[in-house]
Amino acid sequence: MDIMIPVWQKISAPQIAAKDLQGLKGSKVAIIDDNFDVPFTSHLEKLLREVHGALVERFVKPLGTAPSPKSLIEAAAKSRVAIVGIGL
Amino acid sequence: MDNDNADSLQIDDYEQAVELFYERGWTDGLPVVLPTRRLVDAMIAGRDRNESLGPVPPKGGEATLEKLAINAVMGGCRPEHFPIVIAAIEAMMTPEHNLNGVTQTTHMCVSLAIVNGPIAKALNFNSRDGVFGNGYRSNGAVGRAIRLAIWNLGGAVPWDTDKATLSHPGEYAFCIAEEEEDNPWEPLHVERGFAAGSNAVTVFACEGPHSILCHGTPEEMLHGLTDSICSLGNNNVHMGGQTLVVLNPLNAEEFAKRGWSKNEVRQYLWENARRSLSDIKACGIVHQQFRNAQQETGRYPFRYNLDNPTTMVPVTQKPEDIHIIVAGGRTYFAAVLPGWGSFGGYAATVPIRQLPLK
Repeated sequence: MDIMIPVWQKISAPQIAAKDLQGLKGSKVAIIDDNFDVPFTSHLEKLLREVHGALVERFVKPLGTAPSPKSLIEAAAKSRVAIVGIGL
Repeated sequence: MDNDNADSLQIDDYEQAVELFYERGWTDGLPVVLPTRRLVDAMIAGRDRNESLGPVPPKGGEATLEKLAINAVMGGCRPEHFPIVIAAIEAMMTPEHNLNGVTQTTHMCVSLAIVNGPIAKALNFNSRDGVFGNGYRSNGAVGRAIRLAIWNLGGAVPWDTDKATLSHPGEYAFCIAEEEEDNPWEPLHVERGFAAGSNAVTVFACEGPHSILCHGTPEEMLHGLTDSICSLGNNNVHMGGQTLVVLNPLNAEEFAKRGWSKNEVRQYLWENARRSLSDIKACGIVHQQFRNAQQETGRYPFRYNLDNPTTMVPVTQKPEDIHIIVAGGRTYFAAVLPGWGSFGGYAATVPIRQLPLK
């Protein structure tokens, strides 16, 4: 029998890992705000700025349960670090 | 087994082939019809097998017609079912349905497919007694084909990307038809802008059906319906979104005989299926947090005073978000299928098309 395969055999290109950071001071950090807990996200942003000296840029996802738009991902990717999720 | 290649395997032993689907994680826990090339080619029926409906969330396998046909064969479909499977997948991949979230949420919603139009009767879909149950190939096979496509192409697998806390049996198959003959009102797809007599599929991510004892005068039926729709445990009460009410043909007839249109029933439900803010707050901080998040993102307009504990909050932001269909036997039961809340899973309707042949 010639049995057909039901899955999509995705081949991913190898990804190059980013170099380890020595610290966040002076680094541009993107926070992706998923709208689930705005006060907690704001608290994290404040800690990153005031305690760790990061240059924080905050991006707001239109909907927390759907992937970010491509334009948002591309803008966040210009940062040294991107925080893409925080615990509720 | 020999001669493995990219899109098929040569296997001569039937039992070995069935077991192989389990071993490779290509089935959802139930055995499948083996997708032989002959059956898959018959399903594709000359269409462009490489045409894709796009990447299926969450893992992004391409929904090519060939891959969908393979999963349709596995689910037990015949070629005449295939356009319905394609339409359902198209509908599930619309932004408002947010399939990415639906397949990965901790909530127990599953995308229900509702078939409308003459095709439902022509293919013997069940729309009457036991409509959410077993016994009908079309409901079962189309429903399972959809779920297998989400499983195999989307990679929505429990313990992996599917984070449903409890889920429900609709993960295996969740497909019904609306009863259009024994129904005094226009069917769902016509309400949603499609021509009477056309064929369409509507998908809506929801919990399993909750039974509602629904009998008597319109006022008596509405009394039970409103209470059931705004149960404190469902997401709608806390986050809005959409909900689905299934009235049986006798319920609908009783409403219509006394002059109630479907929209009047819907309006009544929206105005009366409400909970006080103090009730909602009594559920705890997480619920309140969700509610605040919804307000901050503009999903709850400020006409609902969320600082006043006596405010009665509706289950959906607007009446149109309460979907009503007619299905089931002529008895005393209706059902509500609460949605996922305002995260998505919203109803999306797509016409069933015979795709152009290659």
